[in-house]
Amino acid sequence: MSATTLIARKEAGELLLSPRGLAWLTAVAVALSAFALLLVSNTELSLLDNAQVVYDMAGIVTGLGSLLGLVVGIDAVAGERERGCLVPLLLAPASRSAILLGKLGGVAIAWAVMYALSLPYLWAVGSTGQNMADGMLVCGLLGTPIVLGFGFFGMGLGCWTRSSRTALLTGIVALLVAASPLLLGPGLRQSAVGAMFDAVNPFSAAVDAYDAVIIDSQTIAAQGAHILVAAAWIVLTLVFARSGFAKVTR
Amino acid sequence: MKLSAFVLAVGLLLGQHALHAAPLSIELQPAAANPAAPQMGDNLTFHSVIRNDGAGPVDGLIAWISLVQVDKGKEQPVDLEDWSAHKAVTAAALLPGKAIETDWPMRLIKAGHYRVAISAASRTGTHLTTSAFADFTVRQKPVVESRRVLPVAFGIPLLLGVALIWRRPRRGTGSG
Repeated sequence: MSATTLIARKEAGELLLSPRGLAWLTAVAVALSAFALLLVSNTELSLLDNAQVVYDMAGIVTGLGSLLGLVVGIDAVAGERERGCLVPLLLAPASRSAILLGKLGGVAIAWAVMYALSLPYLWAVGSTGQNMADGMLVCGLLGTPIVLGFGFFGMGLGCWTRSSRTALLTGIVALLVAASPLLLGPGLRQSAVGAMFDAVNPFSAAVDAYDAVIIDSQTIAAQGAHILVAAAWIVLTLVFARSGFAKVTR
Repeated sequence: MKLSAFVLAVGLLLGQHALHAAPLSIELQPAAANPAAPQMGDNLTFHSVIRNDGAGPVDGLIAWISLVQVDKGKEQPVDLEDWSAHKAVTAAALLPGKAIETDWPMRLIKAGHYRVAISAASRTGTHLTTSAFADFTVRQKPVVESRRVLPVAFGIPLLLGVALIWRRPRRGTGSG
C-alpha cells in the first residue's frame, strides 16, 4: 500500500473512528436534523415546494460540508503541528507529495462521508417532489469541488498561519463571505456588486447550479459555466495548499 | 272596521320588521387575481363590501372572516391561526349610505373544500349580518412529510451519538 493511501486511510480513520471526528459528524447530522425538523414543524416552511426544499437542503449540505472540509483541512496540518505529530510524519519514509496527497485524500474522504450522511436527509425532505435524484447528483458534482476546495484552503491556511485558531477564524470568515448567497436575497445578488461577486464566487456557482437543476429542471450538462468556476476554485486552493505545505516542510 | 284592523295589523308588522331589520348588507367576492385551481401554499384574497343601508349610523362595527371545511366526514370550522393574519376589521361608526371595503388575504394550508363568509355585528344591533358564502377548493400539493423526516432527523444523530459514546470508553481503556 502506498504512503498516500496509508495517510489518507489514517485521516479517514481519525474522522470515522475517533471521538473527535465522530463529534464533528454528529454536529453536522444535528444541524441537518434541525433544518429538517424546522421544515416539518413550521407551517410556512412545510408548505414549501419539494424542489425548493431539496435546493435549500443541498445548499446547507454544501455549506456544512465546506465547514467540515475547512476544519479537517486545518486540523490536517495546523492541528497535527500543535499536537506534535507533524514532525514525526515528515520524518517518515514518504515523499512530501505523498504526504500532501494523503492529507488531501483525508479531506476527500471526510466529504464523501458527509455527502453519504446527507443523502437520507435529501430523500426525507424531497422524495415526493421533482428532481430529487438530479438534486443529489448536482450536489455531489458541484459540492465536491467546493467542499474539497475549502478543505485545501483550510490546509493552506494551516500551513501559512502560526496557529490553528488563527487559521480557523480566517477560514470561517472566508466561508461566511463565500456562503453569503445562501443568506442573501436575489435582490442583493442582482446588484452590480452582487453580480460581480457572484461571478467569481464558487459557492454562488454551486448554488446557481442547484437552482437551475433542481428548481428550473435544467440539465446538469448545461451547467458548464458553473462547473468551470468550481473547477477553478479547486485548482487555486490546491495550489495554495501545496505552496503552504512546501513552506512547512522547507 | 275589519279593514281598519287589518291595515293596522299590517302596519304594526311592517314597523316591527323595520325595527329589527339589520341596516347592514355584506357582499363577498373572490378577487379576480385568485388562481383558478388553487393548491396548498397559494394565496387567495376575498373582497368584501359592508354597506350601511339604514337611515342611521351603525356604531361600533366589527366584521370578521369565518372559514368552514365542508368535506364529507371532515365538516368543521377552521382555526384561521395559520391561514390568515387579517381576521377582523373594525370601524367606530358607519354612516348611512357609506361602505367599508376590505380585502381578506388567506394562505391555503390544507387541501379540501371550504366555504368562507364575512359576518358583521355592531354595538347596539340585535342581529348578526352575514355575507353569502364564497366557496373554494384547495388541491393537495406534495410537501415535506413528517413521517419520512422524523426517523431520519432523530435516527442519524442518535446512531452517531451511540457510536461516539461507544468509542470513548474503548479509547479510555486502551490508553489506561
